[in-house]
Amino acid sequence: MHIRCWAELVQYGANDVLKREYGSLIKAQAEPEYNVSLEIDLEKVPAEGEERETFIKSIALLKRNACAAPFELAFKHQKELEASNGAQGDLMQIHYRDEEAIFVQASQDRVTVIFSTVFREETDRIFGKVFLQEFVDARRQPTIQNAPQVLYSNRDPPLEIRHVSGLRSTDDIGYVTFVLFPRHFAKPDLASGTISHIQLFRDYLHYHIKCSKAYMHSRMRHRVAEFQKVLNRAKTEVATTERKTASGRTLTSR
Amino acid sequence: MSNVLRPYLAAVRSTLTAALTLENFSSQVVERHNKPEVEAAGSKEVLLNPLTISRNENERVLIEPSVNSIRMSIKIKQADEIERILCHKFTRFMMQRAESFIVLRRKPVQGYDISFLITNTHSETMLKHRLVDFIIQFMEEVDREISEMKLSLNARARIVAESYLTAFNS
Amino acid sequence: MDTAFRKIDIDAYDEDAFLESELFEPDPRSPAHVLNDAKQKQTSVRSLLAKGDTAGALASALEGAPYGPGVDEAKNLTLQSVVSILNSTKSTEIPNVVRSLSQDAQDTLMKYLYKGMGLPGWGDVSGSVLLGWHEKLTEAAGTGCIVRAMTDRRTV
Repeated sequence: MHIRCWAELVQYGANDVLKREYGSLIKAQAEPEYNVSLEIDLEKVPAEGEERETFIKSIALLKRNACAAPFELAFKHQKELEASNGAQGDLMQIHYRDEEAIFVQASQDRVTVIFSTVFREETDRIFGKVFLQEFVDARRQPTIQNAPQVLYSNRDPPLEIRHVSGLRSTDDIGYVTFVLFPRHFAKPDLASGTISHIQLFRDYLHYHIKCSKAYMHSRMRHRVAEFQKVLNRAKTEVATTERKTASGRTLTSR
Repeated sequence: MSNVLRPYLAAVRSTLTAALTLENFSSQVVERHNKPEVEAAGSKEVLLNPLTISRNENERVLIEPSVNSIRMSIKIKQADEIERILCHKFTRFMMQRAESFIVLRRKPVQGYDISFLITNTHSETMLKHRLVDFIIQFMEEVDREISEMKLSLNARARIVAESYLTAFNS
Repeated sequence: MDTAFRKIDIDAYDEDAFLESELFEPDPRSPAHVLNDAKQKQTSVRSLLAKGDTAGALASALEGAPYGPGVDEAKNLTLQSVVSILNSTKSTEIPNVVRSLSQDAQDTLMKYLYKGMGLPGWGDVSGSVLLGWHEKLTEAAGTGCIVRAMTDRRTV
């Protein structure tokens, strides 16, 4: 696997996480041009059945596991900080795309995850704004009071990462902050669920933006077809019905 | 039709009906040319006074009559950023299909969102009152369509956000 | 090679072409006179309005309305007085007032309605009032009135 932010991930302990997940499968020397290689001995693959399913699933989660490292580290930090009454952990940056990055920071009572998002297109930007605003508002619902707090700011980076250099400040950039409380990662299975979920945030958001655009498009198509019908009604009818004689022969005009 | 919109549309309807009195008229500037005078603007005497009908600053209709063609431009209500982008998308979508909407102009007149160009050929091949009906219906539905699209966008965003955040509960 | 001759607007030298000034008969009154008239009319309209005679006020405001170039101030004054009449008329009275006007006055009123709607900043003009008048006027005077407003070169 090649991943663009590998150096950063290693720094936050990706190697350890992968070793834990895959053990001896990891090749000591990755294939050229790649960061990690897994070597799977087909002879040793578990037999057909549930065990194999789990195995395949875990291989498929390679990227997720690599990217989980900084989150796990942050969760660990938070526990230490809580015990030692420390102030704040280090800010971890993962530049997982060209212009977008995730920032993770642990503090005494929470872990802050910040996404920077770039919308290339005007429409995406406005749709994205609507969606993100709803993310912020949705938390007011009593049923999801337990969800992490979401903050959204357009253009201006939030306080936590304001000192980071190289942040662009243009209209098309936005920052989404998730504040994870200890209850979101108290138990290991809960923590891993949260990690997977938060990693998928960008994909989820963009998927739904694209879906809405497609929906708008189909609506417009329908509406335009309706207008077309109305306009066609305006055209004067030209009688083109075939006229036939009683014997069934067609009359043609000459 | 909502009661507030009615006088506006009624005014547009009567003005359009009055303006749609077109006849075949060859260009007096270039021999053997016959073009919509309102676009060519070759000679002053065949252009008539342009008329504006407006409900407020953001909803206007401009009707520019001439001897053989009229140009009608509509500015659609846009309350916020979302409506602006939706309106822009919708009008662009229609104008890309201007071929099949014979009377639609490919580009709007400056300051308006969408323009129609009706020439004498159109008024000869199509029934005038139906043509007016079409434009009135368009104006009626475009507003509704845009606000419906906005509502559905908001509703979708809400559901998406809720389902994403609910997942953290488990 | 000199290509400047290609840019010459030859139509400007066409003897048959109409000029702006030939399209309508110019106002015999001088601009200053017109402005004076408009001012006088404004005061008389106010006093008529105060008496509650809307129809009379409207008729006098619409009579001899300024047109043509060079009298923008007088046009604005007249528009103001017309709009103030329109605003102060009850919607139930509109049909009667409209019917009492002469045909010329109806045409001029139609011109002012379109002018009022076409103005960008608006000011105290309300769209729904003008639209209401437009509807009633069309009912009374027919589409011909709109056509005359459209074709008359003597823009107000």
